[in-house]
Amino acid sequence: MAEYSRLASGSILSAGGQTAVICPFTPNFIEITNTTEITAASGGVTRAYWMTDMGQGAAAYVTTGAGPANGSNFVSAATGGGFTTIQAALSLQYGAKILLGASGGIAKTNGTTLTVTTTTAHGLVPGNWVIFQNLYETSTIGMQTLSGIPFEVLTVGSPTTFTIGWVGTSANLTAITAGGLNVNASFKQILYPALYVPGVAFPWTITVSGGIGTVNTTAPHNFQIGQEIAFRIPSVYGAQELNELPNNIIPASPQYFYVATVPSQTSFTFNNAPGITAFSVANPAFTTFSGLRFAQVVATGDVNSGGYPYTGKSLYPSPTVFNGYSLNAVSTINGPGIQGAYINATWQGFIIGATIAGALNDQIYWRAYLHDLNT
Amino acid sequence: MSITNTGNLGPLILQSLAPAMLYVPTPTMNYITIADKVSMPANGGTTCRFMRPRALQPPTIQLGNSGIDPPAQVPQRDILDAQMAFFGTGCIINEQVILQDQEGVLAWISERLAVAMRQAEDLILRDYIVSAASEINCGGGTNGDNPTNFGLSDFSLVSTTLDSNNAYKFMSGIEGQLAIGSGPIRSSYFMLSSTELQTDFDSLTGQGVFNNWNYPNNTSALPSEWGSIYNLRILTSSEAPVARGASANGQDVYYNTVCGKQAVTHINQDGYSMNLIYRDPYYSGMLAQNATLAVKFAQSQLLTQDTAIRNVLSTRLSTQF
Repeated sequence: MAEYSRLASGSILSAGGQTAVICPFTPNFIEITNTTEITAASGGVTRAYWMTDMGQGAAAYVTTGAGPANGSNFVSAATGGGFTTIQAALSLQYGAKILLGASGGIAKTNGTTLTVTTTTAHGLVPGNWVIFQNLYETSTIGMQTLSGIPFEVLTVGSPTTFTIGWVGTSANLTAITAGGLNVNASFKQILYPALYVPGVAFPWTITVSGGIGTVNTTAPHNFQIGQEIAFRIPSVYGAQELNELPNNIIPASPQYFYVATVPSQTSFTFNNAPGITAFSVANPAFTTFSGLRFAQVVATGDVNSGGYPYTGKSLYPSPTVFNGYSLNAVSTINGPGIQGAYINATWQGFIIGATIAGALNDQIYWRAYLHDLNT
Repeated sequence: MSITNTGNLGPLILQSLAPAMLYVPTPTMNYITIADKVSMPANGGTTCRFMRPRALQPPTIQLGNSGIDPPAQVPQRDILDAQMAFFGTGCIINEQVILQDQEGVLAWISERLAVAMRQAEDLILRDYIVSAASEINCGGGTNGDNPTNFGLSDFSLVSTTLDSNNAYKFMSGIEGQLAIGSGPIRSSYFMLSSTELQTDFDSLTGQGVFNNWNYPNNTSALPSEWGSIYNLRILTSSEAPVARGASANGQDVYYNTVCGKQAVTHINQDGYSMNLIYRDPYYSGMLAQNATLAVKFAQSQLLTQDTAIRNVLSTRLSTQF
């Protein structure tokens, strides 16, 4: 009899690369079946499995082509790209440093986008969060003014390119191009960026029109409609009128706003915005990056009293968060909660790695076990 | 002549167990120290709600002699919600271990579970503060990074920020005495820092910076208190948050939490604060072989005064220990 075993199963859509599965334990056996790839029979991974003794990142897997051209394969722990169990419990955890490398760089694509190019495969999927370091083009120009801010990967153009949201036309940025100091430029994936939400978000545009403020943030803000928010914007960026303090009307009383709409995980609007002097992340010169403080918006409360809406599954759904592994909000493992409340979004489970995850939106069915005994 | 030695007549039993267990290295737990404590009532739903009234506009316009009342004000309040979460861990212990081990296995495992629970309580608070409190990057240091290492102006800036926000200080000052090397200590907020930063603090000593042994008297110093800088009393712990290699130049970034009273609140669930659960082997399978020993608790946390807390991010002057 298996007295202490844990068994779980479920389904998930592939993220087209590393795909996180939330599970109430960290398994020592995992198997997945990809029915999209079975139907396609085009040589993709149709089944994969892992036992803990294979090591983190390993997997045995089956590819299925047309006719009898099936193949059994194995990816080792040293190579990676298979299954990895995780316990998303402690913050400030990072993946390996990925250098942009000799042919890498960061291009100023347009007014809302920077495009990052790596020399080797970056292994990211849309929804991952990253943080940059050493963004020097030369010793005196580059993009250090955005080092230290978390960014969400918005799109993945290829295994060596991805985009982030920023004012790509900023005069204070010089593109990181091949040759020179670009080889030292690097980023790390933030492994568990949203363990407690809502938290601090970093605006890169703030505009006000007709009393409606519109904000874009570098990574998901996890705010809800009705969220009470406060701005803390260093004077170099402008828009001081939004700052929580000081308040010239009622001295010492913080100025708060309420989120009116949430068009996307990295944007929101708020009402009753005062007129502002222009906000721009282009204001700080590159040479002032040392000790530069960033504009921030923080959750300070909410006016909601109801839970998350019924969507056809649980009658009383758990809160959902953008947890750094998908462009979609995923359910947490909490009980029903008030929208906009501070919640604990720690979780555990496993990652289906890029080698075996199939293509974006592939239908994957998974089973996970934690056995009584492993010898 | 043959000599009998331990090579051919060794002791029957080679080991003796030393009389006391060795200590378990355990970090100081500072985050729970500075948190307000609130208990959420049982049968009270999933979410603890706080209310903070907003200030009314002071009536600084004179009434004049018209006899007409000024417009009424509409009082407002802020609402803060925190959802309760549940935690637990435990051990499954075969009865043969309990039967045969020479030590009091259940006793010391109980102790370890209790410490693990208390440490979890502190780490949860720590990570919550990292995520929810806004950040001030140090800029007063000289290492050319972002954030820089601590400069004296950074300590001054953050305490000025909290003063300007009308935060309440935790500690009243300590009057100076005629003791060589000591000096008066200002009324203070707490700053929770990493032990790894103590080298940087030590390098500043003497510039308005006092180690707690340089206080006029250190009876009010907490066990984890390194000392005082301007309006901050610094508590250090090896578990304070560090973002490894996350600065602009790729150095470690330290999160130094500076807070006043009521900045962060720890919420426990009434009647569920900490449960140590021993389940006799009788309740395991057919042969009643395995006991279980576990702890569980419920906790939530909240920034109850967001104006009274900041994470001051810094790097170090030197990365060499």
